Amino acid sequence: MTDSVRQKADTTEIWIGAKDVTDVMRTLHDDEQFRFELLADIAGVDTGSEMWVVYHLYSTLTPDWLRVICAGLSREDPRVPSVTFLWKGAEWGEREAYDMFGIIFEGNRDLRRIYMPADYVSFPLRKDFLLPDDAARSPGEGFRHVEQTHQPAEHFRQPVLRQSKLGSSSAAALDELAADTEKATS
Amino acid sequence: MTETTRVRSLDDPDVFVETPATIFDAVPPYPPRSEREAEFYHLDDGEMLINLGPQHPSTHGVLRVVLKIDGEKVVDLDPVLGYLHRGVEKICENGDWHHAISNCDPLEYVASMFSEAMPVLSAEKLLDLEVPRRAEYIRVLCWELNRVASHALFMGWLALDLGGLTPVLWGFIERDEIVEMLAALTGQRLLFNYLRIGGVNRDLNHDFLSRLGDWMSRAGNQIEQSTRLLNENEIFVRRTAGLGVLDRETALRLCMSGPPLRATGIPYDVRRAHPYSVYPELEFDIPTRTEGDSYARYLLHIDEVRESIRIIDQVLHEMPDGPVMAKVPRLIRIPPGRAFIAIESPRGQYACYAMSDGSDQPFRLRIHDPSFFNLQAVGVLMPGNLIADTMAIMASLDPIMGGIDK
Amino acid sequence: MSVLTRPWNRLTLAGKIILPALLLLVLLTVLLLVGWLTGIIPGLLDIGAQIVNDNIDIVRFVLAVTAILLFTVPTAFVIIFMELKIIAFINSRIGPNRTGPWGTLASVFAGFKVLAKEDFTPTGADAPVFTLAPIVTYLAVVLGLLVIPFAPGLVGLDMNIGLLYFFAVSGLSVVGLMMGGWSSFNKYSLLGGLRAAAQVISYELPLLLAPVGVIMLAGTLSLNQIVMNQAGWFWDWYVFQQPLAFIVFFIAATAEGNRTPFDLTEADSEIVAGFATEYSGMRFGFFFFAEYVNVFILSALTVVLFFGGWNAPIDPRPILDFLHISFSPAVDLAGMGIWLLWTLVIGIPIVVLVLGLIVWMLKSSWSFLKSLVVGFVLFNVLAVAIVGIWAFLSFEVVVGLFWFTAKVFTFAFIFVWMRGTLPRVRIDQLMSFAWKWLIEIALLNIFVTAGAILLVQELQRR
Repeated sequence: MTDSVRQKADTTEIWIGAKDVTDVMRTLHDDEQFRFELLADIAGVDTGSEMWVVYHLYSTLTPDWLRVICAGLSREDPRVPSVTFLWKGAEWGEREAYDMFGIIFEGNRDLRRIYMPADYVSFPLRKDFLLPDDAARSPGEGFRHVEQTHQPAEHFRQPVLRQSKLGSSSAAALDELAADTEKATS
Repeated sequence: MTETTRVRSLDDPDVFVETPATIFDAVPPYPPRSEREAEFYHLDDGEMLINLGPQHPSTHGVLRVVLKIDGEKVVDLDPVLGYLHRGVEKICENGDWHHAISNCDPLEYVASMFSEAMPVLSAEKLLDLEVPRRAEYIRVLCWELNRVASHALFMGWLALDLGGLTPVLWGFIERDEIVEMLAALTGQRLLFNYLRIGGVNRDLNHDFLSRLGDWMSRAGNQIEQSTRLLNENEIFVRRTAGLGVLDRETALRLCMSGPPLRATGIPYDVRRAHPYSVYPELEFDIPTRTEGDSYARYLLHIDEVRESIRIIDQVLHEMPDGPVMAKVPRLIRIPPGRAFIAIESPRGQYACYAMSDGSDQPFRLRIHDPSFFNLQAVGVLMPGNLIADTMAIMASLDPIMGGIDK
Repeated sequence: MSVLTRPWNRLTLAGKIILPALLLLVLLTVLLLVGWLTGIIPGLLDIGAQIVNDNIDIVRFVLAVTAILLFTVPTAFVIIFMELKIIAFINSRIGPNRTGPWGTLASVFAGFKVLAKEDFTPTGADAPVFTLAPIVTYLAVVLGLLVIPFAPGLVGLDMNIGLLYFFAVSGLSVVGLMMGGWSSFNKYSLLGGLRAAAQVISYELPLLLAPVGVIMLAGTLSLNQIVMNQAGWFWDWYVFQQPLAFIVFFIAATAEGNRTPFDLTEADSEIVAGFATEYSGMRFGFFFFAEYVNVFILSALTVVLFFGGWNAPIDPRPILDFLHISFSPAVDLAGMGIWLLWTLVIGIPIVVLVLGLIVWMLKSSWSFLKSLVVGFVLFNVLAVAIVGIWAFLSFEVVVGLFWFTAKVFTFAFIFVWMRGTLPRVRIDQLMSFAWKWLIEIALLNIFVTAGAILLVQELQRR
């Protein structure tokens, strides 16, 4: 694990994968050597090729920040274990990351959109998010979709049309999308 | 797949739903999206949902809280955010670093000197830039003035939500003096847009300094006067003491920071925990309290105002001469990297995680707003209390919707 | 027809109103003359007088009720203005200062605004109940004024069970609040209505129990009699014999009037506006007026029960008798005869001229006309002052009214002062305060008063 730890200025960085998140965070939080009890921030990142979830921790034992980067999440189905079992307050942070990036936090009891309306389908902070696409499928276009994430995986498999700026606004694509979402909601 | 008949929702005729939810029971017109939502919108006998906001006199902006109540008692609640969502993080990614300053300004609109520092400080950290000492002192001066302005308003809002009319106007008098003073310095009353990557926009001027001296001569006295109205008021104390009690463990687990965290006894203040700017050179205390209730949070704010005035006094005495701006090109290309910075805003730790890919635009500017995380505490604090107490609890957490909804 | 329409169209709006009025006046004059000359009108007047004489009680009642209804409106305006201005002062604001001198007309214009606003019933509301609710509240409050003695002889209806009547009628106001809360079809209104019911019914008990001590001392339920029993110096007022009862009564009255710190029924930071959330226009105006009339009435009742009503705090008669001063300012107007007319016709211009000259001499940069105008204004002030002093010295009613109003507005000021200072209590604190403290204190007060009365009687017997 040593090669995944870097230090620059006042921040220590740890790079981990999605499968390690639970163990690493639990150790950092509970171990007497670390005592990283304060979750300073939780952020989702879309690098363009993969998804990250970035945690910043603070411990009274050191003035430095600890940055834990959970990298290597696929853009199609980013999944990462939730840290709400350690920090209940991460719930909204994870909801925000889900809302903005579509990252699914397994174990979060309340994973639904926090800012955007329930019938919204895009994930705005992704790098391939284009506003014309978004406008084309916005409620104002006469197309409504009701989100249902009881089965988050299924929800995430809903079509995401981002090939071109104008392509998705074609009537055929819209019809296809409407048919799919109608299936998902009924 | 089961065959269901879908009808038009009474809330929104464009939406087809299984049951026609009406405007009267606040149940969303779509099936529950998460375990928690399903649990919340299931009503037991005698319970009813009531919409607190977004158009309610005391929700501090456009926060909507769906309360599940049994008589006057709050059983459960579900805060609904997003009424003020502008996508500031995305907007920042689309503009360059200088634009990000004014885009981040309205996040914390009561103390915007703090939110506008986010892109500035992270860019400086990514650039490894040395900021002139005078500029650092001016920044600290502005931050502390803005903290006093924000706290003065907090005390008023808390009293207003408890039904007291006067303190909020007295708080506004205090705030107005400071805001006018900062307007003399920055040119704006609310969204200052004063900090720059490498320093501040302009040097202190005579108008600002004369107003500041005028205010400093009576600030302490004025604070004491305003607080005398509430501190010993039996009704106020009974309404706030012992209400919304947070313990250390819960506060940490809720990722809280700022006065609500310090009121539980944890002396976590970024100014001391992870010093930035010239705070290590200044002498001040981190006031803490152990009760963790609304009254402790209120008293803590008063103590912090006193400490801020102390800091302002020191800053004015030790203000060095020199330039207020480092030599920074107009068009900045920030070297690639990741930086995390945090400062102590009136509401807690205001943090920013910035990523740069070497261009003149931020690749990712994640802004951590303390009120967003502090507001989560309402889910723990409110159930079991009365409707009237929800206001006292919410006001004592001091949420600012501009930052919460980003 | 154009012969008439053309000149008619040339008339201005005022002309169109005045011309028909003139014609109507002429017609009425002719009719009256004819009626008078043929003896029809005197006959009708006789019959009318007979009917009035036969039903003098009913006429008195109707007159009193009309007068009281008319009286409530300016009272509410004055108290609202007072509240605006005093709270502005407490808040370090300026307050209303545009309409009328010193903004005095602000509340009147607010009243007109309320009248002019749309008056709608929300979908789903129970329309008849929704419409009746403000009327019930307003009437329940206003009817309480009927038994309040304003001055010696100036009382709507001097009932021997005045206090009982007052509590019976003012207790009805909660019905209106409940109706408003229930029928609005709004959860905030419902909560407000239920809060109102819980609060007003709980505080009715201490409000009733507190004056029992006063009733035992006075031996009557008639408010007029209670006031008369307190005649003399200010230490004869019941507040000095029943201080505990006064405190309980005043707190309960604050709660009964839904005033800060007990304004839970319309707590704007909690339940928007409580029962009044869905009301607009004059229906809201009725609730609003009722609240301020209630402030007046509760202050009036406090004054009547504990602060001597219309009695002056000092009794000048013993001092005057001791000094052998007899003071009779009565002016025999009839005896002055034609000289009265001469005084009015010649005296007024002379006084105005003299005052104007004095002003002109003091302020020579002004034109003489301007000085005359100022002199005229001064004369009016002077005349009103003289007439006021004369009336004060001559008529007991004016003296009583003066002291009564002064005391009542002192208490209205205290209500406003509390509103500017105190936060609101919580519903459970409110209820436990009533049931755990106020009622017990009121009962204790009754017990102590009864014991004291028995003791005094026993001592007097020996």
